[in-house]
Amino acid sequence: MSDVSLRTRFRLGGARARHLVLAVRIVAGSAIALFALSTPGFTSPLSINALLNAISFIGCVAVGMTFITLTGNIMSLCLGATVSASALIFLASLSFGILPAFLIAILFGVVITAAQGLLVGFFRANPILVSIAGLSLLIGGAALATGGQRVYPGGEGLQVFKGRVAGIPVEALYFFATVVIGQFILSWTRIGRVMVMVGSNPRAAYAAGVGPAMAVTVAYVIAGACSAVSGVLLAARYGSGDMELGTGYDYTAIAAVLVGGTAIQGGSGSVVRTLIGVTVIAIIEVVLLLRGFSQQLQYLITGVIVLAVIMLHTIGERR
Amino acid sequence: MPILAVEGVTKRFGPNEVLKNVTLSLDAQEIRAICGENGAGKSTLVKIFTGVHTTDDGAVLVDGKPTEIASPQRAQELGIALVAQELSLAPALSVLDNIWLGNREVPLFHRRKVLRERARAALEKVGLGDLSLDTPVATLSIGRRQLVELARMLTRDARVFILDEPTATLSDVEIERIFNALRALKAEGKSIIYITHRLGEVFEVCDTVSVLRNGELVGTRRTAEIDRAHLMQMMLGRSMGEMYPRWESKPGRPMLTVKNLHVPPVVQNFNLVADQGNVVCLAGQVGSGAIEVLRALAGLVPDATGEVSVMERPVRLRSVSKAQAAKVQFISEDRAGEGVFLRLHVGQNLVATRLADHSQLGILARQGLRATAEKLAAAAGVDRARLHSMADELSGGNQQKLAFGRAIGDDEPGVLLMNEPTRGVDVGARAEIYRLIRQFCDRGYCLVMASSDIEEVLGMADVIVSMYRGRQIATYRRGEADVHRVLADITHPVAAA
Amino acid sequence: MKRAAIFLLAPTVRPFTIMAGAILVLALMDRGTGYFFSLGTIFSVMQLFATIGLVALGLGLSILVREFDLSVAGIVGLAGCIAVMTGVSNPWLGVLLGVCAGVVSGLLQGLIMTRLNLSSVGVTLGGLLTLQGITYVLTENKTIGYPNMAVALGLNEPIANLLSVRSAAALAVFVLAALVMTYTHIGPDVIATGSDRRASRIAGLNTERVIIGVFAASGASAALAGVLLSYSLGAASPIALADMLAPAAAAAIVGGVSVVGGRGSPMGIAAGVLTLCILRSGLSAIGVEPHVHDLVTGGILAVIAILDAPDLARRVTAWRLDRAERQEQALARKSP
Repeated sequence: MSDVSLRTRFRLGGARARHLVLAVRIVAGSAIALFALSTPGFTSPLSINALLNAISFIGCVAVGMTFITLTGNIMSLCLGATVSASALIFLASLSFGILPAFLIAILFGVVITAAQGLLVGFFRANPILVSIAGLSLLIGGAALATGGQRVYPGGEGLQVFKGRVAGIPVEALYFFATVVIGQFILSWTRIGRVMVMVGSNPRAAYAAGVGPAMAVTVAYVIAGACSAVSGVLLAARYGSGDMELGTGYDYTAIAAVLVGGTAIQGGSGSVVRTLIGVTVIAIIEVVLLLRGFSQQLQYLITGVIVLAVIMLHTIGERR
Repeated sequence: MPILAVEGVTKRFGPNEVLKNVTLSLDAQEIRAICGENGAGKSTLVKIFTGVHTTDDGAVLVDGKPTEIASPQRAQELGIALVAQELSLAPALSVLDNIWLGNREVPLFHRRKVLRERARAALEKVGLGDLSLDTPVATLSIGRRQLVELARMLTRDARVFILDEPTATLSDVEIERIFNALRALKAEGKSIIYITHRLGEVFEVCDTVSVLRNGELVGTRRTAEIDRAHLMQMMLGRSMGEMYPRWESKPGRPMLTVKNLHVPPVVQNFNLVADQGNVVCLAGQVGSGAIEVLRALAGLVPDATGEVSVMERPVRLRSVSKAQAAKVQFISEDRAGEGVFLRLHVGQNLVATRLADHSQLGILARQGLRATAEKLAAAAGVDRARLHSMADELSGGNQQKLAFGRAIGDDEPGVLLMNEPTRGVDVGARAEIYRLIRQFCDRGYCLVMASSDIEEVLGMADVIVSMYRGRQIATYRRGEADVHRVLADITHPVAAA
Repeated sequence: MKRAAIFLLAPTVRPFTIMAGAILVLALMDRGTGYFFSLGTIFSVMQLFATIGLVALGLGLSILVREFDLSVAGIVGLAGCIAVMTGVSNPWLGVLLGVCAGVVSGLLQGLIMTRLNLSSVGVTLGGLLTLQGITYVLTENKTIGYPNMAVALGLNEPIANLLSVRSAAALAVFVLAALVMTYTHIGPDVIATGSDRRASRIAGLNTERVIIGVFAASGASAALAGVLLSYSLGAASPIALADMLAPAAAAAIVGGVSVVGGRGSPMGIAAGVLTLCILRSGLSAIGVEPHVHDLVTGGILAVIAILDAPDLARRVTAWRLDRAERQEQALARKSP
């Protein structure tokens, strides 16, 4: 699409536009940081703890969502349900031991999303539709398997996934590990590079013979694994689970991805950006709480800020 | 009083000045041709007249008054109608709905008899009188779609009609009908701007011709007062000889052999032998099948069948990876849509197909990739300082060089397939690309090129294969055919292949 | 036989085929006990239709122009709350204000999208969160009751045992939408914008106006759904309808709206909604457990996703030709 001049008011030369966007981001980020640090009680251990907790559970899912968005598949409406279902599988498998249960949960998450990834990658089926299909199947399958009952741990060993190590909540450590591994895959592996190429221009990726179908499938696999990790952490935190655990996670995750600056159309972004996005949203929520805003206002202001940040990111860029 | 004019108009896209200080004016009842090479700025000028682009400098004058044509709707209000080079029909709608699409005159309740009648009348003028108004456009061939676009143009209540390369997909009979329609419009007092590559048409139907070269207006002449050679001189700014490199054309060892290639629905029974060190040009217009043949050889067509071998080794069709394994590389005709990753860096673009060579256990060796990117940039003539710029900041010509850089093999030369390699590329870059192509040949590559630009074909080919509607018409070695021969082959061939 | 199959599976006819298929399957499962084929079932199907239908219509229209209105879920809640809060003495006032809120929300988002050239997912996501936030603030996070019992009951009163005022209103909106799409140039304009926006713009269509209009209509439709639902439940609550999005999108897509834009119709969407409602009400009428409904819906959506997948034909063709070639080569090797 070459004729974008209908928006001449916002038409800036490529490099100048990028510098402008960077400047805007730095200013916005500093404003938020300032706002946060000037809030009494923000730096207290209690509030930092709350922050880290808020970040960790949603953050893992957001990292997974990043891969789906980067490959040009917009979002998945199924990751929240994958979180819940993985949690249930984890709890039920604890009777086999803590490590096997963890691996089984991850494997489950991977299989669920791999199936979707194959459809989207190899057949270019519509990603939103496929995720809705997955969502329905997961909800139905879970209801069938559990009969609507809460699932309780089948064995010992949950402590590995909760509590603290050197004063930092374990969940945060798992989350940061996910971020590091995810960003490594994206920047340093061949398939990560292919994922960015597919998101940038799927037809060109196909013509170049770089294996876009496989890259998309792997992106979905990573999303499933990340969601499963989140599910395990949640299961450990709450000690039991049902399919309500992950509700709403999809929207918050994609919000974090977009606030971080990953482009919704794919091809541009990173896991680190999503980390920033998750942190920004969590900071805003904690700050609003500390400043005494009612829960309703918190919700509203967070929504407006998310909208504003998303708009900020795309000014000066093309569609 | 000229109906439409531009004065001192300049237009920039990023670092490129696509139009430089252009001044020209159009009178009533005038059919003006605008000629120029790929990338000369013709389409940009058209887009300024039709409200798609605005000017960075200079003014657009309607009836002598400076006017801002801010949108296609405004252009329509001012009485300017367009048939664009890229078809602008909505495939999901019927012929009738497409004809009236975007027309301001249409009332809210649009199922009116008078609209059907006017649409039918317009279709008859372009020779589609037998086409049902309710046919979905998606089922029509490219040629018929072009005619529907022309019919739409005729239903617009306009004073200036702009046609951008309208005849590329039409047969002779259809072209003559269009010319008659244009002459009728002229008699009614309308003015026409006619953009074309086909110099013959300029002299047949146009009163005057303006020539653009590299964004500048070279001059405007009456067609009665000049001839074809003069026109070409104005367009190229140098004789054809300087544009294209010189070399001694000789056959070599056969490198690519194609037997019985079928590319549904257009191409049947295509055969070719291409030698090492040679450039084979498939000459043909849109719909001739030339582009489809190369796409099939590149592995991009899922239902292509035939026998292909590279250096005696058979190559399986329908798979891009198999083609690449056989050292067949492809440069797409759709640079922005299929060739270049616009939002990635130039360096990343260059190494896009080489990631597997530089990775151990799936992990990239970024040093090695950087070094390779620099090497490829040097080989293709891409400025090394640009390696970290985004690809969309490059001009069309530089993006095309990027595509070439990506396709260069490491040590073993292979087959390079190019579809319309200089489409949308300015003159300077074109000359560089032609030199690049000869360099590839000297290195032992075999190049097969599909092009609708006859001058380019004659200038670059060791072997010319002319094509028309999916059939091979004739094969010539360099020097055996002239422009009239090839043009005749690709527009109205006399004998079957 | 094959021609009949091609006709029935053609994208414009397919939603009705699927609907007929759903009815058939349920009738077979019913085995004549009469639980499925009863007026009661039809009534409950239509009640469900009234709830999801208008949301699906709005979302479907936005998908038609190649966008995606995530905010419909939020508008349903907000409009319901506004109506409940303002329409106690005069229910029509509540309807008016609720629908206006929907129109305004759609207009604003449409303007932001077109003027700033943003993708609809980002804007409507922010819109969804903002609308939900406003709902929370207005209701102070409590459920607000709607004391006007007459209206609440009246809306759900069965008419001829088949419809209620609510479902009749929903049907009427669908019919209106279908008439507008067929008999005014808005229909072709929307389809053109969806199937090739660039081409439509060059042809002279004001695609921005079309998109803004579609989002305004989407907001209005979802708002009406929220108003009617809240009135009939006798209460409005901020959390209740968060998961309207998935069923609405599913209904629109089963209803033939193509996700790459440019294909679909209000009547098709109605058929898609009806299919989902028939499955849900029908399965529970027969006594099947609720999770089967989810599994069946998921299965149908997966099948449609595969059938509509652009590369399916390409890969199947390539695979078939590869296999044929391999067989030929094997034969050639055998015979000397």
